[in-house]
Amino acid sequence: MERGGCVNQRAAPSLTPEWELALQKSFHANPNIRCNDADYPVDDTQSVIKPAFFNAIGGSTIRWGAHFPRFRPSDFYPHTLDGVATDWPMGYDDLVPYMDINDQMMGVSGLAGDTANPPRSPRQYPPLASCEGSKRLIHGANQLGWHWWPADAAIATADSTTRRACNNCGPCGIGCPRHARASADTAYLAAAQHAGVELIQHTVVTRILTSTGQAKAIEIRTQNNEKFVIDLEHLVLAGNAISTNVLLSSMNDWNNPLLGKGLMLHPTAIVTGFFRDNLNSYTGPFATSIVSQQFCETEKKRGFVRGFQLQALRGQGPLTTALGGYGNPVAWGRSHAKGFSQAFGHGMSLTVTCEDLPEPVNRIEVSKEKLDHFGMPTAKMHYRLGSNTEKMKTYGIERARQWLRAAGAEKISVNPLSKQAGFHLMGTAPMGVSERDSVTAPDGRLHGVANITIIDASVFPSSSPVNPTSTLQAIALRAADLMARRLSP
Amino acid sequence: MTPLNYSDETVCALLDCLIPGEASSGWPAAGQMGLGNRFIELMRLLHRDGDQLLQSLFNALPDDFADATAETQVACLVAIEKTCPTIFDATLKACYSAYYTNPKVREIIEAKTGYEARPPQPQGYPLEPFDESLLDPVRTRGPIWRPVP
Repeated sequence: MERGGCVNQRAAPSLTPEWELALQKSFHANPNIRCNDADYPVDDTQSVIKPAFFNAIGGSTIRWGAHFPRFRPSDFYPHTLDGVATDWPMGYDDLVPYMDINDQMMGVSGLAGDTANPPRSPRQYPPLASCEGSKRLIHGANQLGWHWWPADAAIATADSTTRRACNNCGPCGIGCPRHARASADTAYLAAAQHAGVELIQHTVVTRILTSTGQAKAIEIRTQNNEKFVIDLEHLVLAGNAISTNVLLSSMNDWNNPLLGKGLMLHPTAIVTGFFRDNLNSYTGPFATSIVSQQFCETEKKRGFVRGFQLQALRGQGPLTTALGGYGNPVAWGRSHAKGFSQAFGHGMSLTVTCEDLPEPVNRIEVSKEKLDHFGMPTAKMHYRLGSNTEKMKTYGIERARQWLRAAGAEKISVNPLSKQAGFHLMGTAPMGVSERDSVTAPDGRLHGVANITIIDASVFPSSSPVNPTSTLQAIALRAADLMARRLSP
Repeated sequence: MTPLNYSDETVCALLDCLIPGEASSGWPAAGQMGLGNRFIELMRLLHRDGDQLLQSLFNALPDDFADATAETQVACLVAIEKTCPTIFDATLKACYSAYYTNPKVREIIEAKTGYEARPPQPQGYPLEPFDESLLDPVRTRGPIWRPVP
């Protein structure tokens, strides 16, 4: 059951001349700006980073760049290794079998043998092609003696029966008409329906009805504004940290004081280097070129614990470049033409993607008084950067500058915090062994209401410097596997 | 919907001030290209409260904006940018959107940069395959991930 509908990616906006307008509106990452029919408002007035997710079958993978790294072994032991956050109730090795299955389903391009990660199974497809901008960055990283590796991407680089190879068009975030870029719908839906899943679209779950420690039914509202109650035996939620919190808060006789607390995002600075010559940097998937995990692990002399990833971003189309892309807009007025000419096709960016720590002050609050147009309580994000993250980000910006200079950039601009980057919503219903220090059990089941399972990233006890999708999908597969075993006669 | 109170000349002058072009290198000015109606349309399309923003913008512009000197126009917009950033940012977004999705501008960009005036799909762009030998120095340095208990 999904509040949004299916998105026909075969007719993606990238086939139309005004494709860049879609990025500004109907495919904008922020639901408060996008305002599509399925979107609901999120109060972000107390959050320096704004929410970014997509409401549709396939969720935010409709809108993503398909960067597909795995969490790393040390990400599961932040407390043991660095005395911060909480260790996970499972380790990297426990998830590897599910990561491998998920890789098969999503279809991952890349290269095994990454020296910043444990050995892993061969990727399904060869690495993505290199653009001139990527080559400059590779040269820079090799000059510095830093780690870099071609990004794992859920993007096909060769034709298959259902997907055409990526043709380097660029804007993966507005859907892929070739289905080269995977999304949860194109990767899983047909198989799920073949196995008997019935899909109900444009329908909102408004409440979970419980009795004596069991979820008994859900209240739903259809797009025709009809209300129904549906009895259930087991309920699985994948609503991201925001919707999952709203739904869990609707239960009258269940409460856990930890719910909603410890929201983690990926605070991200973006540093852009502009090169003298035209690199045609708009060619190639925008978010998946190369990455450096040189600074992912703790090194205490840096003044902070944990670490960050540097991820290369390619250039953008003309309008997005003029609007500033990852930073400030090209200046208006007499210098505009010159400014645009120096930026378009000439820029390559590096994200400084910081590992966030779970802090109680960063949280989702649910207001039962303030209802949205679906009659649902609204969520409010409270988020500010912690001091460890601030130090990490400052250090990371300098490393990004260093890399871009080594790559030959003549001018460097810094966006110290990408505000529209709340796309990795992690934590708020952390898993753990004890109800005293967690909201969900290691298999995702809710402490106190065991027939509700949560399979989104809200169960993460801590985060990582890398993107979460591969790991959260593995968590979901693991929960499904454990549920199937538990329910088998 | 209350009709907006503005003149075409004001919108044209506004757009010309934001993107005056550069005649010597062949970049046209946004207002002179006749993008006024498209600008209004995009203010409404891109912003939920587009009409309100437009009216606030026109209220903030002096009546004689279109006839003012270029320096006065710039000073006026700088003041709006400073005092009413929400209105200004929305205006700039719609102006740039009108300009950079215009087919004539896209032809100019193609002529100047080689970026073809067509959608990214279905053609995409050719790129060279990844060259694994570039990774030799990284491989030589060996693993850097941290072992766990």
